[in-house]
Parts: sequence; C-alpha cells; structure tokens
Amino acid sequence: MFDILLQSSGWTLFVGRFHPVLVHLPIGFLLIAALLEIGRRAGKIPVSVSVINFILFWSAVGASVACVAGYFLSLGGGYDAALLESHKWQGVGVAVFAWVAWMVSSGWFNKKMPRISVLYLPAFGLSTLLTLTAGHDGGSLTHGEGYLTQNMPGPLRNLAGIPPAEVLSTDIKPIGNIEQAVVYEDIVKPMMKQSCVQCHNESKKKGDLRLDEFAFMMKGGEGGPALVAGKSTESDLVKRCLLPENDDDHMPPKGKPQLTSEQITLLSWWIDQGAPVDKKVSDLKVSDQVKPALASLKSTAKGTGSGIGGRSESLIAKLAVSVPDQKSIEALRKAGLTVNKLSQDQNLLEVSAVNAPGFGDAQISLLLPLSEQITWLKLGGTKISDQSLKEIARLKNLNKLHLEHTAVTDAGIADLKSLSYLQYVNLFDTKISDSGLKNIAGMKSLRSVYVWQSGVTDSVVSQVAKQYPNLSIVHGLSASAMARFIKSDDTTAAGIVAK
Amino acid sequence: MEKLLRELQHTKLHSQTRRHFLQSAGFGLGALGLGSLLGSCGTSAAESSVAAGGLKAGIPQFAPKAKRVIYIHMAGAPSQLELFDYKPELIKYHGKDCPAEFLEGKKFAFIQGVPKMLGPQGEFRQHGQSGAWISDYLPHLQTVADEITFLKAVHTDQFNHAPAQLLMHTGSPRLGRPSLGAWAVYGLGSENQNLPGFIVLASGGQQPDAGKSVYGSGFLPSVYQGVQCRTGGDPVLYVSDPDGMNRDIRKQTIEAINKINKQTYEDVRDPEILTRISQYEMAFRMQMSVPEVMDVSKEPQFILDMYGVKPGEGTFAMNCLLARKLVENDVRFVQLFDWGWDGHGTSEKDNVEGGLRQKCRASDKPVAALIQDLKMRGLLEDTLVIWGAEFGRTPMQENRNGLVMPYMGRDHHLEAFTMWMAGGGVKNGISHGETDELGYYGVKDRVHVHDLHATILHQMGFDHEKFTYPFQGRNFRLTDTEGKVIKQILA
Repeated sequence: MFDILLQSSGWTLFVGRFHPVLVHLPIGFLLIAALLEIGRRAGKIPVSVSVINFILFWSAVGASVACVAGYFLSLGGGYDAALLESHKWQGVGVAVFAWVAWMVSSGWFNKKMPRISVLYLPAFGLSTLLTLTAGHDGGSLTHGEGYLTQNMPGPLRNLAGIPPAEVLSTDIKPIGNIEQAVVYEDIVKPMMKQSCVQCHNESKKKGDLRLDEFAFMMKGGEGGPALVAGKSTESDLVKRCLLPENDDDHMPPKGKPQLTSEQITLLSWWIDQGAPVDKKVSDLKVSDQVKPALASLKSTAKGTGSGIGGRSESLIAKLAVSVPDQKSIEALRKAGLTVNKLSQDQNLLEVSAVNAPGFGDAQISLLLPLSEQITWLKLGGTKISDQSLKEIARLKNLNKLHLEHTAVTDAGIADLKSLSYLQYVNLFDTKISDSGLKNIAGMKSLRSVYVWQSGVTDSVVSQVAKQYPNLSIVHGLSASAMARFIKSDDTTAAGIVAK
Repeated sequence: MEKLLRELQHTKLHSQTRRHFLQSAGFGLGALGLGSLLGSCGTSAAESSVAAGGLKAGIPQFAPKAKRVIYIHMAGAPSQLELFDYKPELIKYHGKDCPAEFLEGKKFAFIQGVPKMLGPQGEFRQHGQSGAWISDYLPHLQTVADEITFLKAVHTDQFNHAPAQLLMHTGSPRLGRPSLGAWAVYGLGSENQNLPGFIVLASGGQQPDAGKSVYGSGFLPSVYQGVQCRTGGDPVLYVSDPDGMNRDIRKQTIEAINKINKQTYEDVRDPEILTRISQYEMAFRMQMSVPEVMDVSKEPQFILDMYGVKPGEGTFAMNCLLARKLVENDVRFVQLFDWGWDGHGTSEKDNVEGGLRQKCRASDKPVAALIQDLKMRGLLEDTLVIWGAEFGRTPMQENRNGLVMPYMGRDHHLEAFTMWMAGGGVKNGISHGETDELGYYGVKDRVHVHDLHATILHQMGFDHEKFTYPFQGRNFRLTDTEGKVIKQILA
C-alpha cells in the first residue's frame, strides 16, 4: 500500500535521483571521522572526542537521508535485484551503526549500561567498513558489474584472481563475406552490443529489459516485447530509434552514440524477415533498400566502392615534432615556395611549389633543415628529377608527395621506400613504369598512388591491386572507357569507373 | 614676430589651391559616408593579415581533409524527385489530390488550394557497387556513383530563391553575412599568390537571384569576396593592358597608385584601402596567371570531349573544366552557378520533363567528367565537390493561380531535398538520410543547411563553433548558433 502510494507520486523519483549526490556525504564524513579517531588514539593529532562525535552525528544523519533517497530511487526499477538487496541492507547498516557509535560516544547509555561503551569501536568500524562495500555495490549498480576492474592490467588481474580481460571491443568489425554472415549473430548482436547492452544487460536492466541475448529481447521489458517478429514498424526496438532525439522515449538516450541509418535499416529488415536467430543473409530476401546498408558492413575497414580519400586515419595525426626553424622557412619562401603549418596544434609543415615552376634539383637541399617537419610536399610541374628524390627520401615524416608532371623515373622513386609515413604519391604524367609501381606498392604506409598517363600498364595495375588490397592505384580511364564516356548519348555507361 | 607669423600664414594660404579645398571637402564628406557604412568594421586580425600583403595562407585548427572546394550550385533548384530521390509510391498517387496533412499550416511559393500529386518522371535504377539511385536524366553521373555521398534529407527555412540562396551560401537569409567561400579564404588564405583564393564562374544566362551577395564578403574585409571570372573573352574585365601600354609602364603606374593609397591609409586607417592595394597588386599578377589558367586551348582533345566543350564557349561545361584547372592551381574555393533550374511547369523550358532533361543534358557529362578528371589527377582526395541548390521541389504538381500548368512542374520545397558531395574526405558511395514514401518530409538523418556548413568547415580544418569574426560587438560564425557536423558521412 505504502509502496503504491509512493510510486504514484512524482516526488519519489525526483528525490530518489539525489541519492548519488547525498550518498557521498556520509562516505566522506565517516572516513574522516575514522581517520581522526585513529590519529587521536595514536596520539598524533590533538583532536577532541567531541569533534569526532560531531562528525559522527552528521555521518549518521547523512547516511539516513541517503538511505531514504536510495530507497526512492530503487522504486524506479531497472536494477539487478540481488545486487540491489545487498546494497540496500549494507547502506542501512552504515546508518544504523553510525547512529549506535554516535549514541555510545555521546554517553546516552552511560548511566543504565556503562559497559556498552565497548560497542563504540566495533560499531564505528563496521559502519566504516560497510561504507566501502555498499559503495562498491552502488558503483556496480550504476556502471555495471566489473566496471572497476575492466581495465585492470594483466599482472594485477593474476594477483587478484580475476580472469584475463575479455577483449571488450564495441567497435563493429567489418564482415568479409556478407552472404554467409548469420544475420542475428554477425549483424544484429554486435549492433546491440555497441549501442544497447550497456544499459540493458544482466546486471543493469533499464526498463526491466535485456538486449544481450535473443531470448531476452523477445521476453521484453516493462513495455512488452522489444520486437514483434515480422513487423518492424510495430517493434519498440525500431520505433524508439526512429523517434526524434529529443523525445523522452527515444533510444539510445540523447547524448549517447546513436544507431546509424544503415543499422536501423538492417535491424528493421531482420525483424521484417521474422527475426530469425540462425539464418544467413543469403537465406533471406534482400531488397534493394537493404543492399547499400549491407554493403556498409563491409566498408568500416575499407571504405566503399573503389575506396579513395582518407579511408584510414592519417598516420601523421598524432605526430609530434619540434618547432621549425624560422630561417629555414624564410629560405624556402625566398625560393618561391609556400610554406604553411598543417594545423594550429602541430608543427608539421606543408610546402608547395605551385608558384615556383622553376624549382629544381639545385634548390632541393633547402628542404633538408626542415626534414622533420615537412609532411605534405607539392612539387608537381617543377624541374626536379631523380636526383632530388634522394634528398626527399630524407624527409622522414613525409606523408603526401606530389611529383606529377616531373621528370622522375623508376630509379628515383625507389628511394622513397624508406619513408614510413608516406600515404599518398602522385606520379601522374611521369615516366614511371611497371617496375617502379611494383617497387613501391609494397610500402606498408602507402594508401594511394596515381599513375595516369605514365608508363604503367593496365595488366600490372590489376595484378598489383590484387596483391595489395589496401592500396588504391588510380590509373585513369582507359582509351576505350574514355571513348565510351565521351559518347554523349550513352545512357547505360555503367562500368566506366576509374581504376 | 607677429609680422613673421602673418606672413607664414599667408604663404600657407597661397599654397592651398582650389583643388586642395575640393579634395578635403569631398574627402571629408566621403569619409563621413564611408565611416557610417563601415560602422565598426576594421578589426585588427584581418587588417594585419591584409596589411601583410594580400592573402597569406592561414592555419587551420586541425589538419584539413579538404584543401579545396568546388561548389556547384544549380540556381533555381532542380527536382530531387526526378533525379535522386526515388519514390515508387509516388507513382501510385500520381494525379490524386494531395493529402490534407501535407497542406495544413504550410505555405508554398505558388501552390494554392489542393494540388494533385505528381509522380516521378525519370526512370530510376541503382548504380555502382553502392547501389545509388540515379535516374536516366543523369546517365553520366551514374558512372561515378561510387564516388558520391548523397544527402537525401537536406532541409532549409526559405522558400523563395534569393533568401534561400543567401541562407545556403552565407548562413542567413538576410543580406550582410560573409559567404562560405569568403569564410574559407579568410581562414585558410590563398595558396596560389597569383590567383584570387575565391573564384566564381556563372553560366545559364543569368546571375543567381540573390546577386553578388551569395559570394560576397559581408562584414569580412572585402579582399575575401569571390572574384567572378567570365568564361568567354577576357576572363576578368579590364585586367589586361590597354593598347600601347606595356607591362613595365603598367607596373610603374600601379606602384605609384599604391604609394598614394598607402599614404591615405596612414591618414585614415581604413582597412578597405589595404584591400584596394592588395587587389591592385593581385590584378597585376593576374595579368599573367589568369589568361594562362583560363585558357583551355592547350588541353588535349579528349579532355575537351570528356567535358563536352569547345574553346571559346561560355557554358557550364566550360566552367567545370575551368574549375578543374583552377583547383589544379590551388585556388581555394571555386563557386559555380548555373541558372535555369526552376521547373514550375510554366513554359517549355521551366518544367520537370523536357526542360529539366535539357538542363541535365548540358550539365550531366561535365559534372561526371569533373569528378573523373579530379580523381585521375589525384585531386579528388583533398578537393571537396558539393552539388546542390537552394531548396528542392514538391511532390505535388504546381497549380499556380489554381490553374493546370501547361507542363509538368513542381513548386519550391524546403522540407526535404537532395544534395551530394564527393572527395574531400567524405565517405564515398553512401546515401545519408531518407524521406517519407512520397518524398515530402525527411524521416531519417535530416540535415539542415547549417549542418552542411559545419561539415564543410570541418573538412577544411575548422571547428565551426570556434571559427569566428568579431563584428558589431560580438563574435560571428558562419553557422551562428546552429549547426552540427554530419559525422556519419566523414571518412
């Protein structure tokens, strides 16, 4: 009766949510009281009994108020019952023992039961001890069990007897063969794990709902089953994701990482197909709308399509180098080059010869004093030759290199192999040939090479591309593809994609 | 002593001629006017960057993914329902009355009463590995489908061309704010010292409805405004030497003028004088560089064929080729406007059937060629290509004045329309956002114009919330108080 009365009023949850704030008061008070008591007994601190008594009183008051607030909060539901029970009684214990300790030390029982003063230390000690255990349980309730030790380093784990950390990666791994992927296991479950399970798991069941296993999804929570097999539009799981982010019922809650539109499409599709647990993609009907979403699963690693531009994080993003020498920069500027910082937070430099077509081998040594800082270098259309590449190879942090329209050859670019940050090389309109491409294709850092209008042949491009799937080799349109593209009324020009 | 002083005054008055009087009087009035116009303009940061001699490249807040931008604006607004946003359901509703829920409390530019729904006129198919929906209006764009990221649920606040264009380019539907390109050049400067950092090319026979303000500099110093180049004849008027004047004399003239300008600047400290000085110097350098970069006669024949241009033409196709040449020369921001996409159904030209097909035929191949060409040259990785208009078009057929239009046409629509991006560090081959089954509202991943701006600035290396310019007592930003980077489309 009392429960119902409380639950029906809006005040309980409002007060309840102050629990995490209030609960820290008695924790702090009790610990400081304990430390003072120890200090006093050891004779180290000149503190009077009445001070400790005063702190104890407020600890007891704080603990009691926190208990009430905590009880109100628990009425909101969504917590692991067993854990909650233990937390609750430990919390009550803290309050009770704090009161006992205070009453004893205030001399309440002195006249009737003088012997009871022996209870002071045990009560005080128990109260302090329970603060710690109740606190730990409280943390587990809020953040989930194992939160504290999740990132514990290996050796410590062994000592504490905790099993080695499960690699808890919420990042969704790309799927190689989508046709053979099991829809629930490989597509839906990782999605749930990434976005939902943090609050809907065994120990933290928000809305009494668990989303970590299929059976629990079907069982549902307070609002009924999370999904209706075959009817995505009637499934809460989908409906809530589609609500405006500001809506109270929107999931995941505002501010938390949201499901992408592809993920929602896939989720709806799986439900519409009857939410099977063990069926593969190839067993289900794949509609046109779902295709791009399925394709996106492949792409988290590689970028979709022919894969250009920034599909992997730039290698130089975290590179720290010393401040460049201003005189060396001025020398480069005098030679007609533009020199700019890449960004405000790094000392990396971008050097371009767009205004200095006469720049040549004789001046290349001007770059060397900045060998650490130069990361983007644009020497397209200049007079440099293989000789310069020997020096360029000493720019150890070089990340992007433009050599288009220059006289560089296979012999020259072989020197670049020592550069471990090089991701982009533009060799468009140069004399580079098949052997030159094969020579640098194996560089680990390399992501894109441009060899249009060079001596590189189609067959070698496709051969190298197969060998190094992470490398995008742009060879441009072949003569026949170009001719097809140019034919203006070609309405089915499909297949003319730059290699 | 008194005599001496009087004589001194006398001599001084003698040297003050009528011309001096007129000059100071005129200048005084002019300065008054100028002062009130400029208001609280001149701020130190921009002023000193201009004073330092033109557009020094700036430093982005973080390493940019897009070093350059080509923004293709189809002025008038093509219909997304004919080109990209495939709505098979709309076919079933073709010719039926528009549901009341779409009309209640809504305002349209021309639609009145209860219009009929208009089914898509294009044939749609999926293209590329990404399965992007592109209609047969754009056969060439289909070939580069996998390079493109579509934004299918862009929305705006304005349903008339001029304010919507202003919003799309300056972040505000009212005059006076700097354009996207001006912000970009203010932040990043120009890498090529011989070309303006922000170049505008227009085609289609008319300028955008909102006029030059869509590429203006607003309250930023005017050195950051877009420089419009003509596509036929002299690219920039009056930049070449007159007959009988050689480059040396021209140089001396400009030096003399700038010397006087510098003196005047010392007197009145107006930052616009610095802009003028740097523009004189830039114009002198442009005499050499502009004719070279704007000359397509040296391009090989297959490139001309690929874009579908003939040297000397002033077409949209030519502008696409020029855009490639400009970014190849590290021009920071190239803005293309093509006029004539306003398919209301009022005439043979302005409709979503033949008229729109005609516009597509003239622009499809050059746009696809631009993407292809940029990619082959290794430029697409760090050049952001943006395609779009000021708004979209309604799923209803226009019924101006309650009449039946002579051609199939659609009214202006601000709830949902399609834009796309390619290169510049955005994902390729994805489609972001979705509209309802009739293409009226965005129902998933809606993107506002401000979000678009935030994303473009982000790709250029700026946090749109921290990239500001102080004006009239507060810091302004392109997105003002709105905008959210569209993280889902970033590679």
